[in-house]
Amino acid sequence: MIRRYAALIRNAWLVDLQYRASIVLWLLWGVTEPAIALGIWWAIAGDGQIAGYARADFARYFFAVMLINQLTIAWDSWYLDRWIRDGELNFRLARPLHPAHEAVAENIAYKARTASVILVVWLLVAVAWPAVRLPFAPGRWAITAVAVLLAAAMRFFISFTTGLLAFWTTRATAIMELHAGVSLFLAGRIAPLALLPPAVAGVAGALWFRSMLAFPVDLLTGAVQGTDAIVRGLVWQIVWLAVWVGAYRLAWVRGLRRYGAVGG
Amino acid sequence: MTFRIPHSAFRILVAFWRLNVAEELQYRANLIASVLGTVFYMATALLTLALFFHHTTTLGGWDYWEIVVLLGVFNALTGVIEAVLRPGIGQLAGEVRSGELDLVLVKPVDAQGFVSFRRLDIWRFADVVLGLGLAGYALFRMGHAPSLAQLTAFGLSLGAAAVVVYAIWVVLMSLAFWFVSVENIAVLFDAVYEGARYPVSAYPGALRFLFVYLIPIAWTTTIPASALTGRLRPEIGLAAAVVAALAFGLARALWRAALRRYAGASG
Repeated sequence: MIRRYAALIRNAWLVDLQYRASIVLWLLWGVTEPAIALGIWWAIAGDGQIAGYARADFARYFFAVMLINQLTIAWDSWYLDRWIRDGELNFRLARPLHPAHEAVAENIAYKARTASVILVVWLLVAVAWPAVRLPFAPGRWAITAVAVLLAAAMRFFISFTTGLLAFWTTRATAIMELHAGVSLFLAGRIAPLALLPPAVAGVAGALWFRSMLAFPVDLLTGAVQGTDAIVRGLVWQIVWLAVWVGAYRLAWVRGLRRYGAVGG
Repeated sequence: MTFRIPHSAFRILVAFWRLNVAEELQYRANLIASVLGTVFYMATALLTLALFFHHTTTLGGWDYWEIVVLLGVFNALTGVIEAVLRPGIGQLAGEVRSGELDLVLVKPVDAQGFVSFRRLDIWRFADVVLGLGLAGYALFRMGHAPSLAQLTAFGLSLGAAAVVVYAIWVVLMSLAFWFVSVENIAVLFDAVYEGARYPVSAYPGALRFLFVYLIPIAWTTTIPASALTGRLRPEIGLAAAVVAALAFGLARALWRAALRRYAGASG
C-alpha cells in the first residue's frame, strides 16, 4: 500500500508540476480572503482590543488561517461531480484501487506544494514584521499537526461525500458552495469565533465547523489554553470525522448501486 | 490606434445575441438557480458586514448603510462581469493556448470587440437589478434622496466602472499571450476584485495606493457609491470618465501588442 501511495503521490506531484503557474494563482486566490479580512479587522481594532484581540493577534490569527485553510481545504466535490457526470468514474472503478486513494494522493501532493509556499512566505514576513511571530512552542506545534491532520481528513470526507451527491442531483457543487458560505462564519474564516455572537459561536462548536478550521488555528496561535480544552477539541474532531466517514460510506454504497443501475 | 467599427459589427453582434438568448431561454430554471445563488451571496456579504459593525460604528469613515450602497454597486458590477465578461473574454486564455483564437482572427471583424461581446449569460443580468435594488434600499434607510447632479455623477461613474473592469479583464487576458500555460488567469481577477467589496479608505495606505492607481478597483465601487451618497462632489463623475478612457486606451494598446505576439508565435 505504501508503494502504491508513493507512486500515486509522485504522479499527482508531476501533474501539478505542469501547472505551476495555475497553482500559484489558486494559492493567491486562497490567501486574499484572509488578507482582506485582516485588513478590515486591523482598521477596526485601531489601537484598542476587540474581545481580547489586538492588531497583532489578528495578524497571527489570519496568517494561521491562510496556512491551515490551505492544508485542510479539499476540492474533491468538484472532481467527483465531474467524474460522475462525465463517466470518468468508470475507468477509476475498474482499477484494483478505490478512487478515494487517488484523491487522497492528489490532496497530499497539492497541499505539500502550496502550504510550503505559504510557510516560507510567513517565515520571511515574520523576519520583518514581529506581529506575525509565534512563540516558540514545539509541543503545541506537534498537537496542532495532529489537529490539522484530523481537520484535513474531515474536510476531505465532507467534500468527497458532497461530491457523491452527484449520483442523485446535478447541483452537488452548489451544495458545497452553500457549505463554504456557512463555513465563512462558523469555521472562523472571516473572524475568530470569539468575535461571533455567542449563540452563533455555540452552533459552530456544536456542529463540525469549529473542528474543521477554527480549532487547529486557535491551537497554533495559542488561543486554546489548558489540557482540558485541547483534549475536548481533539475528541470533537474525532467524533465529527467518524460521522463524516459514516456519511461517506453510506453515500458511496447507495450511490454506486444507483450508478450501476443507470449504467446497466 | 484606430477604431473602425463598421455598421455591420453591430448587426453581427445582435445576431449572435439573439441566438444566445434563444439558447438560454431553453434553460429557464437557471434563472431561479442564479437568483437564489446571488441572494445567498448577498446575504453572506451583509452578514459579514453586520459582524464587522457589531464591533465598530464606522469602517474607513463609512457607516453601515453607506457600505451597503457600495455592496449594491459591487453586486451590480458582478452581474455585468458574469453576464458579459466571463463568458466572452474570460474564455480567451484557453483559446490562446489551444490555438482556437485563429478562428476568431480570420473573421473580418475587430477581434477585441468580437471576443469581448460574443456571448452573454443573460440570467446574470438579474444581479444588476438586485444590486441596484440593494443600493436603492440602503439609500432609503439612510434617508438620503440623491439630487439630479448626484444621480448623473453616479450614472457616469458606474459606466466608467464597467469600462475599468472591462479594461482590467482585457489586460489580464492579454497576459495570457505571454504566459500561455495559465488557463485560469481569471482567478487573478477574482482575487483582486474581492478587495472592491469595501471602501478603499478602510485599507492601510500602501493597499489604498495600489487600488486607486495601479489596479484601479477603487474606481469600480468606492467612487460610484461615493457619488450616489454625496460623499464626493458630482465632479468626480468627470474624473471617473477620464480614468475609464485612460484604462481603455492602455488596455487596447496592450491587446494590440499581445496580438502581434500571437501572430509571431504561430507563424
